[in-house]
Amino acid sequence: MREDALETAALIADLAAGWAWIGLAVALVFLVWGVDRVEPNTRGAYIFRALLIPGVVLVWPLVLRRWWVLERGADNWAARHRAVRRWHGPLWWVLGAVIAVTLVAALTLRDDRASAPGPERLEAPQ
Amino acid sequence: MTSQLPKGPGKDEFFIGFLAKWPKNLRSFLPLAALALLVLFPATAFLVGATQQDPGDGGFGGRAEVTGVLETLPYPLLRVTAETDRYPVGTTIILSGQGKRGAQDVAEPLAWQMVTVRGAALKRGDLDMIQLGRMEGLDAPAPRMMAPEQLGRWRLTGEICDGKCLSGAMKPGTGLSHKACANLCLIGGVPPVFVSTGPVEGEDFLLLAGSDGGPVDPSLLDLTGSLITIEGEIERRGTLLVFRTDPATLERAE
Amino acid sequence: MSVAYVPVQWNRNKWYYDTVLILLVVLYLVTFLWLAPEVSEAARATNDAIQRMRATGSCAFLMLTVILCIGPLARLDRRFLPILYNRRHFGVLTACIAAAHLGFVLQWYYSFSPTDPWAALLGVNPAWDRAPGFAFEILGLFALLCLAILAATSHDFWLSFLSAPVWKRLHLLIYPAYAAVVGHVAFGAVQDQSNAAFAIVVAVSAFAVTSLHLAAHLRRHREPAANAQEGWERVCDASEIEEGLGRVHLLATGERVAVFRHKGAFSAISNACAHQNGPLGEGRIVWGCVTCPWHGFQYDVRTGRSPEPFTEKVPTYNLRLEGTEIWVEAAPNPPGTPTEAVPAP
Repeated sequence: MREDALETAALIADLAAGWAWIGLAVALVFLVWGVDRVEPNTRGAYIFRALLIPGVVLVWPLVLRRWWVLERGADNWAARHRAVRRWHGPLWWVLGAVIAVTLVAALTLRDDRASAPGPERLEAPQ
Repeated sequence: MTSQLPKGPGKDEFFIGFLAKWPKNLRSFLPLAALALLVLFPATAFLVGATQQDPGDGGFGGRAEVTGVLETLPYPLLRVTAETDRYPVGTTIILSGQGKRGAQDVAEPLAWQMVTVRGAALKRGDLDMIQLGRMEGLDAPAPRMMAPEQLGRWRLTGEICDGKCLSGAMKPGTGLSHKACANLCLIGGVPPVFVSTGPVEGEDFLLLAGSDGGPVDPSLLDLTGSLITIEGEIERRGTLLVFRTDPATLERAE
Repeated sequence: MSVAYVPVQWNRNKWYYDTVLILLVVLYLVTFLWLAPEVSEAARATNDAIQRMRATGSCAFLMLTVILCIGPLARLDRRFLPILYNRRHFGVLTACIAAAHLGFVLQWYYSFSPTDPWAALLGVNPAWDRAPGFAFEILGLFALLCLAILAATSHDFWLSFLSAPVWKRLHLLIYPAYAAVVGHVAFGAVQDQSNAAFAIVVAVSAFAVTSLHLAAHLRRHREPAANAQEGWERVCDASEIEEGLGRVHLLATGERVAVFRHKGAFSAISNACAHQNGPLGEGRIVWGCVTCPWHGFQYDVRTGRSPEPFTEKVPTYNLRLEGTEIWVEAAPNPPGTPTEAVPAP
C-alpha cells in the first residue's frame, strides 16, 4: 500500500511541476505581451508585473480564459456588478458542521496511553 | 489632509483608508483593537509554547568507537566484546546509517564477523544506537555469542516508531506529528522499535522483528505513531529485547 | 484605483496596519521560540527545528483565525471596517508564515531521506480511514495551496482582470482552507499532544470564526420583496434617505441598487463597487462622491464614474418620483452613463 501511495504521490508531484512549468510559459507570454492588450492600466507599469508571476503560475487556466474573453471584447459589464453574497450563509452552515465534527472526532478518537493496558505474558518460554 | 465628512444624525462616522485623519469614534477604538491583538498574540504563543509535551530524554552522545560481533537479523546489531568507557561487554547496540537510512548494505558482507564500528552514539534509556560512520572487519575469530534468552509469548500495547528518532536523533522522535518522518526512516531501513506502555522485563523499548526473526512485515509500518496491540515472542539478546511480532494479531488499541 | 499599477499603493494607514502586523508576528515568534523555553523544560528539550515548525504553524493558524473574524465583525460593528481595509496584507503575511512552516517541516521531517520530499509529503502517510493517524499533512498542504493562490492573486490587478465576482469566488477558497487547517491541526498537533492548551486554542478559534460568520449571516439586512411594475420598482419614501447617505434596494433581478441623496436630489448607482464589489450603499457621500466603506473608492453619484484621473465606473440607474415615493428602473445603464438627478419633493 505504501509503495503504491508513494508512486501515486510522485506522479502527482510531477503533474504539479508540469502545471507550474506551463504556468511559467503562460506568465511569460501574458505579462510581456498579452496584459497590455486587455488591461490598459498596466501600460507603463513594469515592476509590479513580477508580482503577478506566482498568480499566473497557480491559476493559468483561469488567466487564459479571462484573456480570451477580454480579447474578444466579450466581457459582460453587468456580471462585474453582481456581488457574490448568496453563498456565505449556506457555506458557513456546512463548514460549521464540518469543523464541529472534525474537532469532536479529533478530541474523542484519541490514543489514551495513560489507561492503555500494560504488557501481558501469554505463554512462558518453552 | 483633512476630511470634511458629512454628519448624519444617529449615524457613525466614516473611515476612509487613504485619509490620514481618523473619525472621532475610531481614535480610541483602533489603538485598543491593535493593543488587544498585540496582547493576544504573545499570550497565545506563551500558552502554546510553554505547555509543550516533554520530548523525553535521549539524544546524541558524541563519537563512539566500539568492537564486537556483527549480527544482521532482524537488523544490524553489534554485540560488544571489548569494553569501552561507554559500553560494557554484552551490550547490544542497534546500528543505523546516516540520515534516514539503515545500515544493512554495509553490514551484510560482514555478518557474524568481528568488526570495529565508529560513529555517533545515540542513547535513550537502555536503548543504544550508533549512527554508522565507518565499519571495519577485523581479522579475528568471532567468539560464540550466548544463545538468545527466550522470554515467552507476550501481548504488548504501545507505539511503533523508528529507533533512531526515538533514541534522540529527533526530540520528540515519536507521535503522530512525527509519523511521516518515522515512516521515511523505516522505508530507508532504520530499525523499528516498539515503545511499550509498560516495561517488559525492565525494558520499555524493544527492537521489532518479523515472526521469522527477519525484518518486520511492511504492513506493520502503516500504524506508526498510533497506539496498537500486537502479540509475539520476545527474546533477550545481551541488553536488547527483540520482539518477534505476529502481524495477524495487530490491532488498534481500544 | 490607480491609473498605472504599482506593487503597493502605500498610505499612512497601511503603514500603521503593516507595522502592527509585523509586530504581531515578531511578538508571537519571539515569545514562542525564546520566552517560553525560559520557563518550560520541555520546550528547551525540544529540537530547534521542531520548535520553529510549531511556532510558525500555530502563528499562521492564529493569524488565519483573526483574518476570518474581521469580515463578520465588520458586518456586525462598522468600527471594524478599518481592519478590513488592508486585510490583504494580513493574508499575504499569513501565507508567508504558513509557507515557512512547510519549509521547516520539509527541512526536518522530510529531509535526510532517499525518498523525494514532495512525493513523501503526499504519499508517506496515506491514511484516510483512521484517527489517530489520519493523513493530516494533506489537509495542511491543501490549505497552504489555497493561501498561496489567494496571496498570489491579491493585487488589485487581479480584481480588475478577473472581475470582482470571479475574484471573490476564487477567494472563497479561504473558507474550505480554514476547515482544512482545523483538520490539519486537530488530527496533527492536537491529537499528538496530551496537554489541553493547544486543543483549547484551536477549539476556541474555530468556534469564534464559525459563530461570528453565522451571527453575521443571521443578522444580515433582509430586504423586503420588490414592489414592481413594468420594469420599475418602488424603493422607499423620499424622506427615508438622509442627505449624504444612501439606501440599498434589492431588485427582483437579484442585483442591488444604491440610492443616494446628494444636495437635495436623488441618484442611483449599482451597490457593487467596481473594485471588490463592496457595498456602496453603506458608504456615504464625501466631496460630492459616493465613497465605498471598504477601500474608499469614489464615484460621482450622477455618472457612476470615479473622479479623474481614476477610471473605475459602475452602472447607473434611472429614478423617478411618484408623489413622495422613489422608484427605480430595474434595468441598469452601462457603467459610467450620466443620469438626471431627481430633486426631492
